Amino acid sequence: MSKHVLKNKKEEEIQDWQEMFAQWAEEAPEGPLKRYYQAGMIAANTSLKDAPLLALDLETTGLDPHQDEIISLGLIPLSSKIIRCQGAKYWMAKPEHSLNAESVTIHEITHAELAGAPSLNAILDEILIALTNQVVVVHCVSIERQFLLEASMKAYGYPLYFPVLDTMDIERQATFKPWWQRFGRRPSLRLDACRQRYKLPRYKAHHALTDALSSAELLQAQISYHMDPEADISNYWM
Amino acid sequence: MDVELTEILEALCQHAPFNEIADDPQLNDMAKEIEIQYVRAGEMVIAQSALNNTLFFIRSGAIEILSKEKKLIRRMNEGELFGYASILRGGKSSQAMRTIEDSLLYRIPARWFLKLHQENDNFSDFFQLAREARLRAAMDAQNSDVSLMTCPVVSLLRRPPISTHIDSNIRVAAQIMAEHRVSSLLITDNDELIGILTDRDLRTRAVAQGLAYDTPVSEIMTRDPIVMDSGDYASEAVLKMMERNVHHIPIVKNGRPIGVVSTGDIIQKESHGSVYLISDIYKQTSIEGLKSISQKMTHTFTQLVVADANTQMIGNAMSHIGTAFVKRLLQLAEEIYGPPPVPYCFIALGSQAREEQTIKTDQDNALILSDKYDKKLHGEYFEALSDWVCRNLDECGYTLCTGDIMASNPRWRQPLKVWQEYFSDWIQKPKAEALLRMSIFFDLRGIYGDKTLAKQLNQHIRQQAQQHSGFLTFMARNANQRKPPLGFFRQFVLDGEGKQSRTFNLKERGIAPIIDIVRVHALACGSDKLNTLERIEDIEAAGLLPGGRAKDLALALEMIGMVRIRNQKEQIEAGEEPNNHVNPEHLSSFEKRHLRDAFHIVSRQQEFIKFRYAGKRS
Repeated sequence: MSKHVLKNKKEEEIQDWQEMFAQWAEEAPEGPLKRYYQAGMIAANTSLKDAPLLALDLETTGLDPHQDEIISLGLIPLSSKIIRCQGAKYWMAKPEHSLNAESVTIHEITHAELAGAPSLNAILDEILIALTNQVVVVHCVSIERQFLLEASMKAYGYPLYFPVLDTMDIERQATFKPWWQRFGRRPSLRLDACRQRYKLPRYKAHHALTDALSSAELLQAQISYHMDPEADISNYWM
Repeated sequence: MDVELTEILEALCQHAPFNEIADDPQLNDMAKEIEIQYVRAGEMVIAQSALNNTLFFIRSGAIEILSKEKKLIRRMNEGELFGYASILRGGKSSQAMRTIEDSLLYRIPARWFLKLHQENDNFSDFFQLAREARLRAAMDAQNSDVSLMTCPVVSLLRRPPISTHIDSNIRVAAQIMAEHRVSSLLITDNDELIGILTDRDLRTRAVAQGLAYDTPVSEIMTRDPIVMDSGDYASEAVLKMMERNVHHIPIVKNGRPIGVVSTGDIIQKESHGSVYLISDIYKQTSIEGLKSISQKMTHTFTQLVVADANTQMIGNAMSHIGTAFVKRLLQLAEEIYGPPPVPYCFIALGSQAREEQTIKTDQDNALILSDKYDKKLHGEYFEALSDWVCRNLDECGYTLCTGDIMASNPRWRQPLKVWQEYFSDWIQKPKAEALLRMSIFFDLRGIYGDKTLAKQLNQHIRQQAQQHSGFLTFMARNANQRKPPLGFFRQFVLDGEGKQSRTFNLKERGIAPIIDIVRVHALACGSDKLNTLERIEDIEAAGLLPGGRAKDLALALEMIGMVRIRNQKEQIEAGEEPNNHVNPEHLSSFEKRHLRDAFHIVSRQQEFIKFRYAGKRS
């Protein structure tokens, strides 16, 4: 795997999140979400090494963003070089519907623990403040993006968008080989499998803060192997 | 909500020294200030002379430490810490730290490290920079439990002494003993201890001889018995009993007897039975009997290890048992072949002479004959005697010496004057290669027969060694032949050039080098001691080494010796033949850490003797 294989976005693919944020700031209803968009986003030509990054992970009651709910959320800030535990944050949210036994066993979060937690609506304002100006790092963008979008629609009646560095997508590109070079199965893109490729330690999965830390560390490893810290963030975000 | 960094805390607390302070609530606050860094293999983490204000914890991967001269000092892996030395010295790093694998590092701010270091002794002990002090603290912490090895002999006393006046007759003495149900009686005169009378004395010296009841006790008692001071360790009482083959020792305080310790008292306290094993050896009349005792040796050895005996104790016990076998065999041999035609002395060499035997050692021995020896007249007798003893020692588990250093070899069965010539030759015309094999002869102890012969030979050796400084240069060079490892890395033993291996010989590369170093100094200061720890005391007293350095050798020897003994115990328990090979996978992190310090002390002292006894030419 040679370095910087990922600097391959074509001109027309580059997204300008700064410009889009300005537009959403106009449209969003008054309140926390409008303030979030008004705070703006870094320019597309900001280098990766200067980009404020925030690793994020959610635990949910299931996989369907329309039916299932967020029950916990972990955040940990980082740069291209370093992860800072100092800014780590963790919330639990009480779901409107009761937990099913299956998701309890996955997260080891029990009814009792959630009973005392606030509702997601009550903490979403805080979460928005934490997300302000940040490029979000997740493993598998669709889950986090869709669940937070649903939550935002419910709370503010307007969608929440944010730029993402998806460690799963980065790994997919890094391990990509044209069909004539492939042998057998494609490499696994699960978080744990990706981490092992970089000899990162194994963690117990399914705690939102641990998983956020987990993808933060994976990104560090991916940057050191495949990405150019001097390159524009727009090469990598989506 | 207060964030708990579970994953990070758990990783830290799996390893020393954080495991010591796992319940300190501050740890979570510290974890919040940790920064995490991924570093690919081959990158410099702390450059030589760089200012460092971070304590690094290796979460995964591996680090190599290099000296100013780019020499490998150490390799470290998961769970280990680096960067603290420069923080503690408040300045630049004297060494360079480089990744040798892709690594995930936790960066702990110096502020937190210094705070914990100041507040918590368990934590700060771990970072003790002086290896010697670190090793000492670790050894002290190990010896905290109360056992026979560490309790004072006075704690074994069960009652005030039972005594009678020197003028009593044996019947009165027996009545007092019966009344108080004791197996020994102290004989006094004006409160002063004159002798001791035991059940055995009454049986063998009075009843069996048909003495009259009114015979005074003074005729059958043991005069001036071996006594011990109330402050001595109980373990020393065990050693004395084994050494002298006695079962009762009066204990005195300020010169007055305060009680008697018997083998029974000791068995009650701890039943490892090495005292009884020795008296059993002397009772045997056949090789079969001795062989069956020798099979119990392994058990005695493991019992001693379990009882937390230190290496000195175990070495002493095993050597006394070994000596008892030799003595008993020689007694039996003299029954077969008749009394010796001229005086001789059977000598033990090497570890048995130093009283540092462990389980399963081969025999190293020789015979010094009186100068009256005439080969034509006496040669046959001593050949038969020596062959018989060496062969039967082999039967009893002391296998024949592969280098043929045994009394059965005619070269090592010589009159005193020939032995003196041997040594004069070795000392005056030293040949490095030959001396390596000969060093075993410089630890020589008479164990049976006319011990003045051994004494005279030892005197000769001391005189010669002190007169020929060139000899010490050779011995010092010899003592540098076997180098200890640098340390450990994962499941490997690490050597100076970065070579890694699966196992290593702890005796060859740890214990033997220390014994060699100490022997050189001992010869230099004319010490007449043989035991390494006793030699170290003489060396210390002679001021041959800068302050405290002699004691460091004792510390290193104890650390390495303990690991060797524990390893042998584990081998025995696993049903294997005990040996000196250690696989680092079987070492605890405590043992690895402190062995590394001990090895370092040995290397440094090897360097020191090269310089201290440098010859004129070098």
